[in-house]
Amino acid sequence: MEYLLVHFPERRRVLIDGNDQGRTDETLELERGTYIVTLSPPLDYKPKKRKVALKRTSPVSPLEIRFAKRHASDK
Amino acid sequence: MSCWLAGLLLIGVLGGCAQAPMNAPLAAYRPDAGYRFTTLDAGDAGDGDGLYVALAFSGGGTRAAALSYGVLKALADTPITWQGKRKRLLDEVDLISTISGGSFTGAYYALFGPGIFTDFESRFLKRDIQGELGRQLWNPVNWIRLASPSFDRIDLAAELYDRTVFNGKRFDALTAARHRPFLVINATNMSLGRRFGFIQDQFDGLGSDLGPYPVARAVAASSAFPLLLSPVTVRNYPAPPGYERPAWVDGALGDYEVNRRRYQRAREWTLYADKAGHPYVHLIDGGLADNIGLRDVIDSAQDAARPGSIRQLMNQRKIRRLVVIIVNARTEPPETIDTQRRAPGALEVAMKTATVAMDNYSFETIELMKDLAGAREQARRAVEDCRRLLADRCPSAAQPPPLNEIRFSIIEINFDSIADPKEREEFLSLPTSFALPPATVDRLIAKGGELLRQSEVFQELVEELK
Repeated sequence: MEYLLVHFPERRRVLIDGNDQGRTDETLELERGTYIVTLSPPLDYKPKKRKVALKRTSPVSPLEIRFAKRHASDK
Repeated sequence: MSCWLAGLLLIGVLGGCAQAPMNAPLAAYRPDAGYRFTTLDAGDAGDGDGLYVALAFSGGGTRAAALSYGVLKALADTPITWQGKRKRLLDEVDLISTISGGSFTGAYYALFGPGIFTDFESRFLKRDIQGELGRQLWNPVNWIRLASPSFDRIDLAAELYDRTVFNGKRFDALTAARHRPFLVINATNMSLGRRFGFIQDQFDGLGSDLGPYPVARAVAASSAFPLLLSPVTVRNYPAPPGYERPAWVDGALGDYEVNRRRYQRAREWTLYADKAGHPYVHLIDGGLADNIGLRDVIDSAQDAARPGSIRQLMNQRKIRRLVVIIVNARTEPPETIDTQRRAPGALEVAMKTATVAMDNYSFETIELMKDLAGAREQARRAVEDCRRLLADRCPSAAQPPPLNEIRFSIIEINFDSIADPKEREEFLSLPTSFALPPATVDRLIAKGGELLRQSEVFQELVEELK
Protein backbone atom coordinates (compact mmCIF):
# COMPACT_ATOMS: atom_id res chain seq x y z
CA MET A 1 0.00 0.00 0.00
CA GLU A 2 1.08 3.61 -0.64
CA TYR A 3 0.25 6.75 1.29
CA LEU A 4 -0.86 10.18 0.11
CA LEU A 5 -1.42 13.35 2.10
CA VAL A 6 -3.18 16.24 0.40
CA HIS A 7 -3.03 19.77 1.85
CA PHE A 8 -5.33 22.71 1.26
CA PRO A 9 -5.96 25.71 3.51
CA GLU A 10 -9.54 24.54 4.05
CA ARG A 11 -10.98 21.17 4.97
CA ARG A 12 -12.06 19.57 1.70
CA ARG A 13 -12.94 16.18 0.22
CA VAL A 14 -10.15 14.68 -1.86
CA LEU A 15 -11.07 13.11 -5.18
CA ILE A 16 -8.80 10.47 -6.65
CA ASP A 17 -9.56 9.87 -10.33
CA GLY A 18 -12.90 11.57 -9.64
CA ASN A 19 -13.86 9.39 -6.65
CA ASP A 20 -14.22 10.72 -3.13
CA GLN A 21 -11.48 9.09 -1.08
CA GLY A 22 -11.48 11.06 2.12
CA ARG A 23 -10.33 14.48 3.31
CA THR A 24 -7.41 16.83 3.14
CA ASP A 25 -4.82 16.51 5.91
CA GLU A 26 -5.69 12.84 6.41
CA THR A 27 -3.45 10.07 5.11
CA LEU A 28 -5.08 8.21 2.22
CA GLU A 29 -4.13 4.61 1.50
CA LEU A 30 -3.92 3.71 -2.18
CA GLU A 31 -2.36 1.06 -4.34
CA ARG A 32 0.95 1.81 -5.98
CA GLY A 33 0.28 3.65 -9.23
CA THR A 34 -0.59 6.84 -11.08
CA TYR A 35 -3.56 8.99 -10.08
CA ILE A 36 -5.21 12.31 -10.81
CA VAL A 37 -5.94 14.25 -7.62
CA THR A 38 -8.56 17.00 -7.40
CA LEU A 39 -10.67 18.53 -4.63
CA SER A 40 -14.41 18.68 -4.17
CA PRO A 41 -16.19 21.93 -5.21
CA PRO A 42 -16.05 24.86 -5.11
CA LEU A 43 -13.33 25.02 -7.74
CA ASP A 44 -11.41 27.69 -5.86
CA TYR A 45 -8.10 25.87 -5.81
CA LYS A 46 -5.05 25.65 -7.99
CA PRO A 47 -3.70 23.84 -9.82
CA LYS A 48 -6.91 22.34 -11.23
CA LYS A 49 -5.52 18.85 -10.82
CA ARG A 50 -2.34 17.09 -9.84
CA LYS A 51 -1.03 13.92 -11.40
CA VAL A 52 0.83 11.82 -8.85
CA ALA A 53 2.88 8.65 -9.13
CA LEU A 54 2.60 6.84 -5.83
CA LYS A 55 5.48 4.56 -5.00
CA ARG A 56 8.03 4.07 -2.25
CA THR A 57 6.00 5.96 0.35
CA SER A 58 5.44 4.83 3.91
CA PRO A 59 2.74 5.59 6.49
CA VAL A 60 5.15 7.92 8.32
CA SER A 61 6.44 9.47 5.12
CA PRO A 62 3.50 9.82 2.73
CA LEU A 63 3.71 11.67 -0.56
CA GLU A 64 2.53 15.18 0.28
CA ILE A 65 0.97 17.49 -2.28
CA ARG A 66 -0.53 20.94 -1.85
CA PHE A 67 -3.32 22.84 -3.48
CA ALA A 68 -3.42 26.59 -3.02
CA LYS A 69 -6.47 28.79 -2.68
CA ARG A 70 -7.31 30.44 -5.99
CA HIS A 71 -8.54 33.97 -5.69
CA ALA A 72 -10.77 35.84 -8.10
CA SER A 73 -7.75 37.84 -9.29
CA ASP A 74 -5.96 34.59 -10.33
CA LYS A 75 -6.21 33.69 -13.97
CA MET B 1 -36.21 -42.64 -45.29
CA SER B 2 -38.29 -39.63 -46.20
CA CYS B 3 -39.94 -39.79 -42.74
CA TRP B 4 -36.49 -39.69 -41.13
CA LEU B 5 -35.49 -36.75 -43.28
CA ALA B 6 -38.75 -34.96 -42.50
CA GLY B 7 -38.25 -35.67 -38.78
CA LEU B 8 -34.69 -34.34 -38.83
CA LEU B 9 -35.83 -31.29 -40.73
CA LEU B 10 -38.60 -30.67 -38.16
CA ILE B 11 -36.12 -31.02 -35.30
CA GLY B 12 -33.80 -28.65 -37.09
CA VAL B 13 -36.54 -26.06 -37.66
CA LEU B 14 -38.02 -26.29 -34.15
CA GLY B 15 -34.59 -26.50 -32.54
CA GLY B 16 -33.52 -23.43 -34.43
CA CYS B 17 -36.30 -21.56 -32.62
CA ALA B 18 -34.90 -22.33 -29.15
CA GLN B 19 -33.05 -19.32 -27.78
CA ALA B 20 -31.43 -18.87 -24.42
CA PRO B 21 -32.26 -15.49 -22.86
CA MET B 22 -29.59 -12.93 -23.63
CA ASN B 23 -28.52 -9.98 -21.48
CA ALA B 24 -30.17 -6.69 -22.42
CA PRO B 25 -28.37 -3.61 -23.78
CA LEU B 26 -28.05 -0.62 -21.49
CA ALA B 27 -30.22 2.28 -22.70
CA ALA B 28 -28.20 4.94 -20.88
CA TYR B 29 -25.27 4.97 -18.51
CA ARG B 30 -26.37 5.82 -14.99
CA PRO B 31 -23.73 5.34 -12.30
CA ASP B 32 -26.32 6.10 -9.63
CA ALA B 33 -28.67 3.28 -10.69
CA GLY B 34 -28.59 -0.47 -11.12
CA TYR B 35 -27.22 -3.22 -8.93
CA ARG B 36 -24.17 -1.58 -7.34
CA PHE B 37 -22.89 -1.46 -3.80
CA THR B 38 -23.38 2.29 -3.80
CA THR B 39 -27.09 2.15 -4.69
CA LEU B 40 -27.97 0.04 -1.65
CA ASP B 41 -28.74 1.47 1.79
CA ALA B 42 -25.98 1.10 4.34
CA GLY B 43 -28.41 0.07 7.04
CA ASP B 44 -28.54 1.84 10.39
CA ALA B 45 -28.35 5.56 9.73
CA GLY B 46 -25.10 7.18 10.65
CA ASP B 47 -22.97 4.11 11.11
CA GLY B 48 -23.99 1.63 8.45
CA ASP B 49 -20.39 0.94 7.47
CA GLY B 50 -18.81 1.07 10.92
CA LEU B 51 -19.06 -2.68 11.30
CA TYR B 52 -18.42 -4.12 7.87
CA VAL B 53 -18.96 -7.85 7.44
CA ALA B 54 -17.97 -9.67 4.25
CA LEU B 55 -18.69 -13.33 3.56
CA ALA B 56 -16.93 -15.44 0.91
CA PHE B 57 -18.66 -18.69 -0.06
CA SER B 58 -16.53 -21.20 -1.94
CA GLY B 59 -17.46 -23.63 -4.64
CA GLY B 60 -18.05 -27.33 -3.99
CA GLY B 61 -21.61 -28.18 -5.12
CA THR B 62 -24.22 -28.94 -2.45
CA ARG B 63 -21.43 -29.52 0.07
CA ALA B 64 -20.39 -25.85 -0.22
CA ALA B 65 -23.99 -24.61 -0.31
CA ALA B 66 -24.89 -26.51 2.88
CA LEU B 67 -21.73 -25.48 4.75
CA SER B 68 -22.27 -21.79 3.95
CA TYR B 69 -25.96 -22.12 4.88
CA GLY B 70 -24.86 -23.52 8.26
CA VAL B 71 -22.66 -20.45 8.74
CA LEU B 72 -25.57 -18.12 7.88
CA LYS B 73 -27.71 -19.91 10.47
CA ALA B 74 -24.99 -19.52 13.08
CA LEU B 75 -24.68 -15.79 12.28
CA ALA B 76 -28.45 -15.48 12.70
CA ASP B 77 -28.06 -17.04 16.14
CA THR B 78 -25.25 -14.68 17.18
CA PRO B 79 -26.54 -11.64 19.09
CA ILE B 80 -24.29 -8.58 19.16
CA THR B 81 -24.43 -5.04 20.43
CA TRP B 82 -23.25 -2.36 18.03
CA GLN B 83 -23.61 1.32 18.72
CA GLY B 84 -25.81 0.49 21.68
CA LYS B 85 -28.25 -1.56 19.64
CA ARG B 86 -28.92 -5.25 20.05
CA LYS B 87 -29.00 -7.13 16.77
CA ARG B 88 -27.84 -10.31 15.08
CA LEU B 89 -24.44 -10.52 13.45
CA LEU B 90 -26.22 -11.70 10.29
CA ASP B 91 -27.98 -8.30 10.07
CA GLU B 92 -24.59 -6.61 9.72
CA VAL B 93 -23.49 -8.55 6.62
CA ASP B 94 -22.59 -6.02 3.91
CA LEU B 95 -21.07 -8.12 1.15
CA ILE B 96 -21.40 -11.74 0.02
CA SER B 97 -19.05 -12.93 -2.69
CA THR B 98 -19.85 -16.38 -4.03
CA ILE B 99 -18.59 -19.13 -6.29
CA SER B 100 -20.43 -22.08 -7.82
CA GLY B 101 -22.22 -24.10 -5.08
CA GLY B 102 -21.84 -21.20 -2.65
CA SER B 103 -23.66 -18.98 -5.15
CA PHE B 104 -26.94 -20.82 -4.51
CA THR B 105 -26.82 -19.97 -0.80
CA GLY B 106 -25.61 -16.40 -1.29
CA ALA B 107 -28.18 -15.62 -4.00
CA TYR B 108 -31.03 -17.22 -2.07
CA TYR B 109 -30.24 -15.20 1.05
CA ALA B 110 -29.81 -11.96 -0.91
CA LEU B 111 -33.19 -12.51 -2.64
CA PHE B 112 -35.32 -13.98 0.13
CA GLY B 113 -33.62 -12.83 3.35
CA PRO B 114 -34.77 -14.76 6.42
CA GLY B 115 -36.98 -16.88 4.14
CA ILE B 116 -33.85 -18.94 3.49
CA PHE B 117 -34.25 -20.50 6.93
CA THR B 118 -37.74 -21.70 6.04
CA ASP B 119 -37.41 -23.41 2.71
CA PHE B 120 -33.86 -23.44 1.28
CA GLU B 121 -33.24 -26.97 2.50
CA SER B 122 -36.30 -28.38 0.75
CA ARG B 123 -36.00 -26.16 -2.35
CA PHE B 124 -32.35 -26.80 -2.98
CA LEU B 125 -30.07 -28.47 -0.46
CA LYS B 126 -32.01 -31.72 -0.11
CA ARG B 127 -33.00 -32.08 -3.75
CA ASP B 128 -31.37 -34.31 -6.28
CA ILE B 129 -30.56 -31.42 -8.61
CA GLN B 130 -28.14 -33.55 -10.55
CA GLY B 131 -30.82 -36.19 -11.19
CA GLU B 132 -33.32 -33.53 -12.22
CA LEU B 133 -30.83 -32.06 -14.66
CA GLY B 134 -30.22 -35.52 -16.06
CA ARG B 135 -33.96 -36.09 -16.56
CA GLN B 136 -34.16 -32.81 -18.47
CA LEU B 137 -31.74 -34.30 -20.95
CA TRP B 138 -34.04 -37.31 -21.48
CA ASN B 139 -37.00 -35.14 -22.37
CA PRO B 140 -37.48 -35.32 -26.20
CA VAL B 141 -38.70 -31.71 -26.26
CA ASN B 142 -35.30 -30.70 -24.92
CA TRP B 143 -33.53 -32.76 -27.60
CA ILE B 144 -35.15 -30.47 -30.12
CA ARG B 145 -34.21 -27.37 -28.15
CA LEU B 146 -30.64 -28.55 -27.70
CA ALA B 147 -30.35 -28.91 -31.46
CA SER B 148 -30.38 -25.11 -31.62
CA PRO B 149 -26.99 -23.42 -31.77
CA SER B 150 -28.40 -20.80 -29.38
CA PHE B 151 -29.44 -23.20 -26.64
CA ASP B 152 -27.21 -25.49 -24.62
CA ARG B 153 -27.12 -27.73 -21.54
CA ILE B 154 -26.36 -24.80 -19.23
CA ASP B 155 -29.57 -23.12 -20.42
CA LEU B 156 -31.58 -26.13 -19.26
CA ALA B 157 -29.85 -25.90 -15.89
CA ALA B 158 -30.52 -22.15 -15.66
CA GLU B 159 -34.21 -22.72 -16.48
CA LEU B 160 -34.46 -25.38 -13.78
CA TYR B 161 -32.85 -23.12 -11.16
CA ASP B 162 -34.99 -20.18 -12.29
CA ARG B 163 -38.25 -22.13 -12.05
CA THR B 164 -37.64 -24.24 -8.97
CA VAL B 165 -35.18 -22.32 -6.80
CA PHE B 166 -35.17 -18.60 -7.57
CA ASN B 167 -38.84 -18.01 -8.55
CA GLY B 168 -37.88 -16.20 -11.75
CA LYS B 169 -36.25 -13.34 -9.82
CA ARG B 170 -34.15 -10.84 -11.75
CA PHE B 171 -31.34 -8.59 -10.50
CA ASP B 172 -33.89 -5.76 -10.54
CA ALA B 173 -35.42 -7.39 -7.46
CA LEU B 174 -32.12 -7.07 -5.60
CA THR B 175 -31.79 -3.42 -6.64
CA ALA B 176 -35.38 -2.66 -5.66
CA ALA B 177 -34.87 -4.21 -2.22
CA ARG B 178 -32.20 -1.50 -1.72
CA HIS B 179 -30.63 -3.20 1.26
CA ARG B 180 -27.43 -5.04 1.87
CA PRO B 181 -25.87 -7.55 1.69
CA PHE B 182 -24.52 -6.74 -1.71
CA LEU B 183 -24.22 -9.99 -3.62
CA VAL B 184 -21.36 -10.65 -6.03
CA ILE B 185 -21.87 -13.88 -7.96
CA ASN B 186 -18.57 -14.76 -9.57
CA ALA B 187 -17.98 -16.64 -12.82
CA THR B 188 -14.85 -16.92 -14.97
CA ASN B 189 -14.40 -15.15 -18.30
CA MET B 190 -13.14 -17.99 -20.50
CA SER B 191 -11.23 -15.75 -22.85
CA LEU B 192 -9.41 -13.73 -20.18
CA GLY B 193 -9.29 -16.48 -17.57
CA ARG B 194 -10.30 -13.79 -15.09
CA ARG B 195 -13.05 -13.31 -12.54
CA PHE B 196 -16.34 -11.90 -13.83
CA GLY B 197 -18.79 -10.50 -11.27
CA PHE B 198 -22.52 -10.17 -11.91
CA ILE B 199 -22.77 -6.54 -10.81
CA GLN B 200 -23.74 -3.46 -12.79
CA ASP B 201 -20.21 -2.01 -12.63
CA GLN B 202 -19.04 -5.04 -14.63
CA PHE B 203 -22.05 -4.95 -16.96
CA ASP B 204 -21.35 -1.27 -17.72
CA GLY B 205 -18.25 -2.51 -19.51
CA LEU B 206 -20.49 -4.78 -21.59
CA GLY B 207 -22.86 -1.92 -22.38
CA SER B 208 -25.51 -4.07 -20.75
CA ASP B 209 -28.27 -3.70 -18.16
CA LEU B 210 -27.96 -6.34 -15.43
CA GLY B 211 -31.42 -5.46 -14.07
CA PRO B 212 -33.58 -7.78 -16.23
CA TYR B 213 -31.04 -10.61 -16.12
CA PRO B 214 -32.22 -13.74 -14.24
CA VAL B 215 -30.29 -14.37 -11.02
CA ALA B 216 -30.56 -18.08 -11.85
CA ARG B 217 -28.48 -17.59 -15.01
CA ALA B 218 -25.75 -15.86 -13.04
CA VAL B 219 -25.75 -18.75 -10.56
CA ALA B 220 -25.69 -21.22 -13.48
CA ALA B 221 -22.67 -19.42 -14.97
CA SER B 222 -20.95 -19.41 -11.59
CA SER B 223 -21.44 -23.18 -11.31
CA ALA B 224 -20.97 -24.18 -14.97
CA PHE B 225 -18.45 -26.92 -14.27
CA PRO B 226 -16.25 -27.29 -17.36
CA LEU B 227 -17.18 -30.13 -19.74
CA LEU B 228 -20.21 -31.24 -17.67
CA LEU B 229 -22.00 -27.97 -18.38
CA SER B 230 -21.57 -25.61 -21.27
CA PRO B 231 -20.58 -21.93 -20.73
CA VAL B 232 -23.12 -19.11 -20.34
CA THR B 233 -22.79 -16.56 -23.14
CA VAL B 234 -23.46 -12.83 -22.75
CA ARG B 235 -23.40 -10.12 -25.39
CA ASN B 236 -20.88 -7.30 -25.31
CA TYR B 237 -22.91 -4.36 -26.63
CA PRO B 238 -21.68 -0.97 -27.82
CA ALA B 239 -21.19 1.51 -25.00
CA PRO B 240 -24.43 3.38 -24.15
CA PRO B 241 -24.80 7.14 -24.52
CA GLY B 242 -23.04 9.01 -21.75
CA TYR B 243 -20.71 6.19 -20.89
CA GLU B 244 -17.10 7.11 -20.27
CA ARG B 245 -14.28 4.82 -19.44
CA PRO B 246 -13.52 5.07 -15.70
CA ALA B 247 -10.86 7.74 -15.10
CA TRP B 248 -8.55 5.38 -13.19
CA VAL B 249 -8.06 3.20 -16.28
CA ASP B 250 -5.92 5.82 -18.05
CA GLY B 251 -3.45 6.09 -15.19
CA ALA B 252 -3.39 2.35 -14.56
CA LEU B 253 -2.62 1.50 -18.19
CA GLY B 254 0.72 3.24 -17.74
CA ASP B 255 1.47 1.32 -14.55
CA TYR B 256 2.69 -1.93 -16.07
CA GLU B 257 6.05 -1.76 -14.30
CA VAL B 258 4.71 -0.04 -11.19
CA ASN B 259 1.65 -2.15 -10.33
CA ARG B 260 0.95 -5.16 -12.50
CA ARG B 261 -2.37 -5.99 -10.74
CA ARG B 262 -3.78 -2.54 -11.38
CA TYR B 263 -2.51 -2.60 -14.94
CA GLN B 264 -4.19 -5.98 -15.48
CA ARG B 265 -7.54 -4.68 -14.22
CA ALA B 266 -7.25 -1.70 -16.58
CA ARG B 267 -6.37 -3.95 -19.48
CA GLU B 268 -9.53 -5.98 -18.86
CA TRP B 269 -11.55 -2.80 -19.31
CA THR B 270 -9.90 -2.15 -22.64
CA LEU B 271 -10.69 -5.68 -23.80
CA TYR B 272 -14.37 -5.31 -22.92
CA ALA B 273 -14.27 -1.98 -24.75
CA ASP B 274 -13.09 -3.81 -27.87
CA LYS B 275 -16.61 -4.61 -29.06
CA ALA B 276 -15.53 -5.82 -32.49
CA GLY B 277 -12.92 -8.17 -31.10
CA HIS B 278 -15.12 -9.47 -28.25
CA PRO B 279 -18.80 -9.25 -29.28
CA TYR B 280 -19.58 -12.14 -26.92
CA VAL B 281 -18.24 -13.18 -23.52
CA HIS B 282 -18.36 -16.83 -22.49
CA LEU B 283 -18.60 -17.54 -18.79
CA ILE B 284 -17.82 -20.73 -16.92
CA ASP B 285 -17.49 -21.90 -13.33
CA GLY B 286 -16.17 -19.14 -11.09
CA GLY B 287 -13.95 -21.70 -9.41
CA LEU B 288 -11.49 -21.52 -12.29
CA ALA B 289 -10.54 -17.96 -11.42
CA ASP B 290 -11.00 -18.17 -7.64
CA ASN B 291 -12.54 -21.17 -5.93
CA ILE B 292 -13.21 -19.53 -2.58
CA GLY B 293 -14.91 -16.29 -3.59
CA LEU B 294 -12.39 -14.20 -1.69
CA ARG B 295 -10.73 -12.40 -4.60
CA ASP B 296 -13.61 -9.96 -4.92
CA VAL B 297 -13.25 -9.08 -1.23
CA ILE B 298 -9.48 -8.67 -1.62
CA ASP B 299 -9.90 -6.50 -4.71
CA SER B 300 -12.39 -4.41 -2.77
CA ALA B 301 -9.91 -4.08 0.11
CA GLN B 302 -7.14 -2.94 -2.25
CA ASP B 303 -8.80 -1.05 -5.07
CA ALA B 304 -9.91 2.38 -3.91
CA ALA B 305 -11.11 3.26 -7.43
CA ARG B 306 -14.01 0.85 -7.22
CA PRO B 307 -17.05 2.82 -6.00
CA GLY B 308 -18.05 1.66 -2.53
CA SER B 309 -14.98 -0.52 -2.15
CA ILE B 310 -13.74 -1.50 1.29
CA ARG B 311 -10.60 0.57 0.65
CA GLN B 312 -12.64 3.64 -0.23
CA LEU B 313 -14.74 3.23 2.92
CA MET B 314 -11.53 2.83 4.93
CA ASN B 315 -10.10 6.02 3.43
CA GLN B 316 -13.36 7.81 4.21
CA ARG B 317 -12.92 6.71 7.86
CA LYS B 318 -16.20 4.85 7.77
CA ILE B 319 -15.10 1.31 8.58
CA ARG B 320 -13.99 0.72 12.14
CA ARG B 321 -14.35 -3.03 12.30
CA LEU B 322 -13.82 -5.32 9.31
CA VAL B 323 -14.94 -8.92 9.57
CA VAL B 324 -14.25 -11.37 6.75
CA ILE B 325 -15.65 -14.89 7.04
CA ILE B 326 -14.37 -17.34 4.44
CA VAL B 327 -16.40 -20.52 4.09
CA ASN B 328 -14.08 -22.89 2.30
CA ALA B 329 -15.64 -26.28 1.48
CA ARG B 330 -12.40 -27.65 0.05
CA THR B 331 -11.99 -31.41 0.27
CA GLU B 332 -9.01 -33.67 0.14
CA PRO B 333 -10.04 -37.21 -0.73
CA PRO B 334 -7.67 -39.95 0.47
CA GLU B 335 -4.69 -40.12 -1.85
CA THR B 336 -3.49 -43.51 -3.05
CA ILE B 337 -1.20 -42.72 -5.97
CA ASP B 338 1.91 -43.06 -3.81
CA THR B 339 1.00 -46.65 -2.90
CA GLN B 340 1.61 -47.98 -6.39
CA ARG B 341 4.72 -48.44 -8.51
CA ARG B 342 2.67 -47.64 -11.61
CA ALA B 343 2.75 -43.97 -12.57
CA PRO B 344 -0.64 -42.19 -12.47
CA GLY B 345 -2.64 -42.33 -15.70
CA ALA B 346 -3.56 -39.44 -17.95
CA LEU B 347 -6.91 -38.81 -16.23
CA GLU B 348 -5.32 -38.72 -12.75
CA VAL B 349 -2.60 -36.38 -14.01
CA ALA B 350 -5.22 -34.15 -15.64
CA MET B 351 -7.28 -33.99 -12.43
CA LYS B 352 -4.21 -33.19 -10.34
CA THR B 353 -3.13 -30.55 -12.84
CA ALA B 354 -6.50 -28.87 -12.52
CA THR B 355 -6.91 -29.09 -8.75
CA VAL B 356 -3.41 -28.73 -7.26
CA ALA B 357 -2.79 -25.31 -8.78
CA MET B 358 -6.23 -24.12 -7.68
CA ASP B 359 -5.80 -25.41 -4.11
CA ASN B 360 -2.44 -23.65 -3.84
CA TYR B 361 -3.95 -20.46 -5.26
CA SER B 362 -6.84 -20.64 -2.77
CA PHE B 363 -4.42 -21.09 0.11
CA GLU B 364 -2.38 -18.09 -1.02
CA THR B 365 -5.55 -16.02 -1.50
CA ILE B 366 -6.57 -16.57 2.12
CA GLU B 367 -3.06 -15.76 3.33
CA LEU B 368 -3.08 -12.58 1.21
CA MET B 369 -6.26 -11.43 2.97
CA LYS B 370 -4.65 -12.05 6.36
CA ASP B 371 -1.46 -10.28 5.24
CA LEU B 372 -3.47 -7.24 4.12
CA ALA B 373 -5.11 -6.99 7.53
CA GLY B 374 -1.78 -7.52 9.30
CA ALA B 375 0.01 -4.91 7.18
CA ARG B 376 -2.68 -2.32 7.85
CA GLU B 377 -2.43 -2.81 11.60
CA GLN B 378 1.36 -2.69 11.40
CA ALA B 379 1.19 0.59 9.44
CA ARG B 380 -1.16 2.13 11.99
CA ARG B 381 1.11 1.12 14.86
CA ALA B 382 4.18 2.47 13.05
CA VAL B 383 2.52 5.89 12.78
CA GLU B 384 1.48 5.79 16.43
CA ASP B 385 5.03 4.91 17.50
CA CYS B 386 6.46 7.65 15.31
CA ARG B 387 4.07 10.24 16.74
CA ARG B 388 4.90 9.16 20.28
CA LEU B 389 8.64 9.33 19.65
CA LEU B 390 8.39 12.74 18.01
CA ALA B 391 6.24 14.09 20.81
CA ASP B 392 8.76 12.81 23.30
CA ARG B 393 12.04 13.73 21.65
CA CYS B 394 11.25 16.41 19.11
CA PRO B 395 8.05 18.16 20.18
CA SER B 396 8.41 20.95 17.64
CA ALA B 397 8.51 18.56 14.64
CA ALA B 398 5.43 18.11 12.47
CA GLN B 399 3.76 14.76 13.12
CA PRO B 400 2.36 12.45 10.44
CA PRO B 401 -1.44 12.24 10.70
CA PRO B 402 -2.62 9.11 12.49
CA LEU B 403 -4.19 6.23 10.59
CA ASN B 404 -7.60 5.51 12.04
CA GLU B 405 -7.93 2.31 14.00
CA ILE B 406 -9.65 -0.55 12.20
CA ARG B 407 -10.09 -3.87 13.98
CA PHE B 408 -9.82 -6.89 11.71
CA SER B 409 -11.29 -10.36 12.16
CA ILE B 410 -10.36 -12.76 9.35
CA ILE B 411 -12.07 -16.09 9.92
CA GLU B 412 -11.73 -19.20 7.78
CA ILE B 413 -14.11 -22.12 8.06
CA ASN B 414 -12.80 -25.35 6.59
CA PHE B 415 -12.86 -29.08 7.22
CA ASP B 416 -9.15 -29.16 8.10
CA SER B 417 -9.96 -27.63 11.46
CA ILE B 418 -12.22 -30.51 12.52
CA ALA B 419 -10.48 -31.89 15.59
CA ASP B 420 -11.56 -35.53 15.38
CA PRO B 421 -9.37 -37.26 12.72
CA LYS B 422 -12.06 -39.74 11.65
CA GLU B 423 -14.72 -37.08 11.29
CA ARG B 424 -12.26 -34.76 9.52
CA GLU B 425 -11.48 -37.46 6.98
CA GLU B 426 -15.19 -38.09 6.41
CA PHE B 427 -15.86 -34.44 5.60
CA LEU B 428 -12.70 -34.09 3.54
CA SER B 429 -13.84 -37.06 1.46
CA LEU B 430 -17.30 -35.73 0.56
CA PRO B 431 -17.93 -35.57 -3.18
CA THR B 432 -18.57 -32.43 -5.22
CA SER B 433 -22.12 -33.01 -6.38
CA PHE B 434 -25.55 -31.40 -6.58
CA ALA B 435 -27.11 -34.42 -4.88
CA LEU B 436 -26.13 -35.34 -1.34
CA PRO B 437 -28.10 -37.53 1.08
CA PRO B 438 -30.29 -35.42 3.42
CA ALA B 439 -28.43 -36.74 6.47
CA THR B 440 -25.14 -35.53 4.98
CA VAL B 441 -26.68 -32.13 4.27
CA ASP B 442 -27.84 -31.94 7.91
CA ARG B 443 -24.34 -32.78 9.11
CA LEU B 444 -22.81 -30.13 6.86
CA ILE B 445 -25.24 -27.48 8.10
CA ALA B 446 -24.49 -28.34 11.71
CA LYS B 447 -20.75 -28.46 11.00
CA GLY B 448 -20.79 -24.99 9.40
CA GLY B 449 -22.17 -23.46 12.60
CA GLU B 450 -19.95 -25.56 14.83
CA LEU B 451 -16.75 -24.63 12.98
CA LEU B 452 -17.67 -20.95 13.10
CA ARG B 453 -18.37 -21.04 16.82
CA GLN B 454 -15.15 -22.93 17.57
CA SER B 455 -13.02 -20.36 15.69
CA GLU B 456 -10.95 -18.42 18.22
CA VAL B 457 -11.10 -15.27 16.11
CA PHE B 458 -14.88 -15.56 15.97
CA GLN B 459 -15.07 -16.10 19.74
CA GLU B 460 -13.00 -12.95 20.31
CA LEU B 461 -15.24 -11.02 17.91
CA VAL B 462 -18.43 -12.14 19.66
CA GLU B 463 -16.93 -11.37 23.06
CA GLU B 464 -16.02 -7.84 21.96
CA LEU B 465 -19.43 -7.23 20.40
CA LYS B 466 -21.43 -8.54 23.36
